[in-house]
Amino acid sequence: MGRLFTPMTRGKKRFSAVTALIVAGVFLTLPIILSVTALAGGGGGGPSGPPAEVLEQRKAAAAAAAAAGESVEGEAVAIETGRDVYYKIEGPAVGMPAPITADNETFYPRYNFESRVLLWVANQQHLYYGSFVLAVPIFCMCIELAGMISKDKAMAKKYDQLAYDFIRISLTAYSLTAILGGILIFTFLTLYPAFFGYLSGIFRPVMHIYALTFVAESGVLYIYYYGWDKMREGVLKWVHLSMCVILNVIGTVLMFLANSWIAFMMSPAGVDEQGRYLGNIWHVLHTALWNPLNVHRILGNMAFGGGVVAAYAAYRFLSSTTDEERAHYDWMGYIAMSLGVAFLIPLPFAGYWLMREVYAYRQQMGITLMGGLLAWLFIIQATMIGILFLTTNYYLWQALGRMTGGERFQKYIKYLVFILVVGLLVFITPHTIVMSPAELKAMGGQQHPVLGNYGVMSAKNGGINAIIMTTILSFIWYQRGNKVPTVSWSKFGNIFMGCFFVVAQINNIFLACYGYFIPANVRIGLSVPQVAGTLSCLLLMTPLNLAMLKGGRELGPIKWGQIPPRSQYAIIMLATAFTWMMGLMGYIRSSVRLFWHVNEVMRDNSPWAYTHTIGFAANVISFNVLFFWISIMFVFWLGTLGAKKVVIKSAVPDPVPAGASPQPAAGH
Amino acid sequence: MTWLKLVEGYMPMQMISELAICILFFSICNYLLKKAGIGVPKFWAGILVWCFVNMFYLKYRIYPPIPFSVRAIYGTVSACGIFMWVSGSQEEWLEFKRPIISVLDANNGFTKVLRTALLLLLPIGLGAFAYSSLLPSFDEPIELRTVHPAPPATTKVHGKTYVLQTAQQPYRIDTEGKYDPAYSNAHIVDQSMGRLMKDVNSSEDNPWDPNAKGYIKHVREGGEIFFQNCHFCHGDNLNGRGLWAFAFNPIPANFTDAGTIAQLQETFVFWRVAKGGIGLPGEGFPWASVMPPWEQHLTVDEIWKVIMFEYWHTGYYPRTWD
Repeated sequence: MGRLFTPMTRGKKRFSAVTALIVAGVFLTLPIILSVTALAGGGGGGPSGPPAEVLEQRKAAAAAAAAAGESVEGEAVAIETGRDVYYKIEGPAVGMPAPITADNETFYPRYNFESRVLLWVANQQHLYYGSFVLAVPIFCMCIELAGMISKDKAMAKKYDQLAYDFIRISLTAYSLTAILGGILIFTFLTLYPAFFGYLSGIFRPVMHIYALTFVAESGVLYIYYYGWDKMREGVLKWVHLSMCVILNVIGTVLMFLANSWIAFMMSPAGVDEQGRYLGNIWHVLHTALWNPLNVHRILGNMAFGGGVVAAYAAYRFLSSTTDEERAHYDWMGYIAMSLGVAFLIPLPFAGYWLMREVYAYRQQMGITLMGGLLAWLFIIQATMIGILFLTTNYYLWQALGRMTGGERFQKYIKYLVFILVVGLLVFITPHTIVMSPAELKAMGGQQHPVLGNYGVMSAKNGGINAIIMTTILSFIWYQRGNKVPTVSWSKFGNIFMGCFFVVAQINNIFLACYGYFIPANVRIGLSVPQVAGTLSCLLLMTPLNLAMLKGGRELGPIKWGQIPPRSQYAIIMLATAFTWMMGLMGYIRSSVRLFWHVNEVMRDNSPWAYTHTIGFAANVISFNVLFFWISIMFVFWLGTLGAKKVVIKSAVPDPVPAGASPQPAAGH
Repeated sequence: MTWLKLVEGYMPMQMISELAICILFFSICNYLLKKAGIGVPKFWAGILVWCFVNMFYLKYRIYPPIPFSVRAIYGTVSACGIFMWVSGSQEEWLEFKRPIISVLDANNGFTKVLRTALLLLLPIGLGAFAYSSLLPSFDEPIELRTVHPAPPATTKVHGKTYVLQTAQQPYRIDTEGKYDPAYSNAHIVDQSMGRLMKDVNSSEDNPWDPNAKGYIKHVREGGEIFFQNCHFCHGDNLNGRGLWAFAFNPIPANFTDAGTIAQLQETFVFWRVAKGGIGLPGEGFPWASVMPPWEQHLTVDEIWKVIMFEYWHTGYYPRTWD
C-alpha cells in the first residue's frame, strides 16, 4: 500500500509546492500590479498640483462657459497648460515648477565638505553593488540551465554547484545594496533636499513602484536561494529555474526604473520649460536617452558582474592549498571571465548608440563629451578598454599553457602583441594633446602632423576593430588549444578562416584610411562595414571553428588548475579595470550636465556646480574603486565563512564529486 | 636622407609600416642569430625593442617632436606589450626572468658586484628622481586646452539668431540656386591630389572662370575675403603658417589638418569666426586664441563665403549629422 501511495504523495507534494510558489509569486508581484493601475491613471501629480480629473472638470466648465459666452472668473483662468520640452505637445501643468535654488543652507545644507563628493561616493557604491546583484542572477540562470540540459551528470552537478556559488556570493552583496541605497537616499534628502523634492515629486508613483519591486526582488531571491535543495529534481528544478527568470525580469524592471531618473536628469521630457509636470508619466519615463542607457547598462552590468565573480575565483585560486581547489577555481574564473567578456564585446556598440542619441538630443552635449571639456576622460576610457582587451588576450594565451598542444600557438603571440599594441596606440592617441607651451611652439600648432591623424574617429575605429579581431583570433586559438580538426574539409576550412581574417583586417585598415578622404556623414557610415567585418569574424568564424573541431582529435585533457598565477592577476586586473571604467563613465555621464541638476530645466546653484579637474575626478574614482574592492573582499570572506560552517556540520558526503568547492550539507 | 622623409598625406600609415618592418627585421635577425647559436636573450631583446621604439624611433625619427605626454603614453603601452610578449608562455617567462633571478641570487662574483651596485644605485636614482621632481620649475605651466569647446545652441550675429544644429550655409547651392551639399561636395578635390579643381576649363569647377555661377562663384568671393583678411595668420595654403602666425602661441589653426575644420559643422565654424577668441565659452579655457570677432568686420554673407572657400581649398567636407 505504501508503495502504491508514494507516487501520489510525491505528486501531491509537487503540486502543493508549485501552487505555493505561484501564490507566493502572485503575492510578491501584487503590489506592482496594483501600482500599475495608478500609472494608468496618469501617474504623479507633482508636489501640489490638482488631480487630473479636477483639471478635466475645470477645462470642461471653462469650455462650456466660453460656448455660452460667459466669463468664468477664477477657476477657468487657473487652468494652465505647458509645452513638453521634448515631445513638444501641450499638456496640463499639474506639477509645480522646478525650484530656483540659491547658494544657501536652505537649498543646499552642507557639512564642512563638498556635498557633491559625498553624494558621488554614496551613489557609486550603490551602483557597484546594484550592478553586481543584478548581473549575477543572469549568470546563475545561464549556468543552471547549462547544468540542467547537460547530459554529463558530473558536469551537470558542477554547473549546479557553480550557479549556487555565484548566488551565494551575491546574497550578502544584496543586503549591502539595500543599505547603500538607504544611505544614498539619506544623502540626497539631507544635502540636496530641494532637488530631491522636485525629482521625487515628478517620479512619485515610479518611486513607489521601485520600492515595491525591490520587495518582490528580495522575496523571489530568497525563495530561489533557500529553495535550491528542495527544488533540485524533476519539475521542481524547472520551477526553480523559472524563479530565476522571474528574478531577472524583476531585476531588469528595477534597473530600468532607476535609469529613468538619470535619463530624465540628462534629457528631460514630460515637463515644460519651467519643469512643471504635464500629467503623462510615460513621457517622463520615456526620455530621449532612456532606452540607450538601459541597453548600455544591462551589458555593462553583465561585464562588470562577470569580472567581479572572476576576481573572486582568482582570489580563491591564488589562496588555494590543494590541486582540486585550484582546478575548481581555475574553471570558475574561466567561466565567469568568458561571460564577462562575451558582454564586453557588444558593449562598445551599445555605447556608440548611446553617444549617437546624445548627439541627436543635444549637439553641445555630444561635443562636450567627445570633443570638448570631457574629451580627455574619453582618452582614459579608451585606455581602460584597451587594458580590458589586452588583459583578455593575455589570459587566453596563458590558458593555452594548461592544454597539451597549446604551445603550437604560443610562438605566434609576438605578432598578435604587435597588432594589439599598435591598435591600442592609435586608439588612445589624444586629439587634444597635453603639452607645455614650449612643446606647443616646437610642434608648430595644436595638431601633430603625424599623430594628429590618429586622434580622429576614423583611425580610432580602425584601431579598436583591429584589437577586437585579434581577441577573436586568440579565442579561436584557445578553442583549438588541445584539439586538432579531423573533418575532411579541415584544410579548406583553415585556409578559408585564415583568408577571412586577413581580408577582414585589410578591409578594416583600408576603411580607416579611406575615412580621411570623404565627408563626415559618409565616414560615420564606414563604421558599419568595419564593425560588420569584426562581427563576421566573431559570429561566423567561431561557429565554423567549433564545427571543424567537432569530433576532432584531442591532444590531451585540459589541465585545470595548471595555469600560471600571472593569469589570475590578469583576471584581477580585468575586474579592477571594469570597476574603474564604470566609475569613470558614470562620472562622465553625470558631468555632461555641467551646471544643471536637470538639463536646461533646473539649474544647480550649489557652490559645486563646476567640472572637477581630471586629476581630482580620477582620485575620487580610484577611492570608489578601492572602497568597493575592500568591501567586496569582506563579502567574499563572509561567503567562505558560511561555506566552511556548513562543511563542518556536513554528515552526508556529496555523492558526485563536484570539484573542490565548499560542499554544504545535503547539497547546500 | 631625403628618401627617408615622411611623406605628407601618408605619414600615419608610413609610421606604422616602418615600425612593423623594424620589428620584423629584429625578429629575422634574432632567428638567424639563434640558428647560429648566439640568439639574443629574451631579457635583452625586450629592453632593446623598447629602447629602439621609445628612445630612438619616436624621439628622433618623428618630426616635429612628439610632446612628452604622448611619448609617456606610448612608452607605457609598449612596455606592457613587451611584458605580454616575454611572458606569453611559461618557457619564455622563465627565460626572461633568468638574468634577473641570477643577479638576485648572486651566485658568482660578477653578479654579487652587480647586485650590490643595483641595490646602491636604485635608491640613489629614486632619490634623484624625487629631488628633481620636487625642484621648483619656472617653465610655463602645462595647459590642457579645449580646442573645440561645445558650441552654444544658438548664436546671434548682426541681430539675427542662428540655431547651430539646424542652420544652413546659404551659399552651398547648385547652379539653380538651391541648397545642395551633394553638388558642392562633388566639386571638392582632395588637396593631396596636388590640384584644387577637377577641370580648370569647367565653369562648374573653376572659381575664376568668368562664367562661374552658384556655389563655385561664391567660393571665389570667399577666397577674396580670405586673402584680404585671414591669410596673414592662417597662411596662403590655409595651413596656419601665415606671415604673423609665429607671433602667437599657439599659432593659428591649420585648416589642412584632419583635426580642425574637417571635424566641424559649418555652423560651428560660423560661430567661431563670428565671435572670435573673445567669444569662447567657459569650456574653452584657457581661451588661448587671439582671433578677432569677425562679426565686427565682416557681414554675415562674407563670413559664410569665407568658410565655404576654406572647405573648398582644403578639400574637406563640412561635418553633417544626417
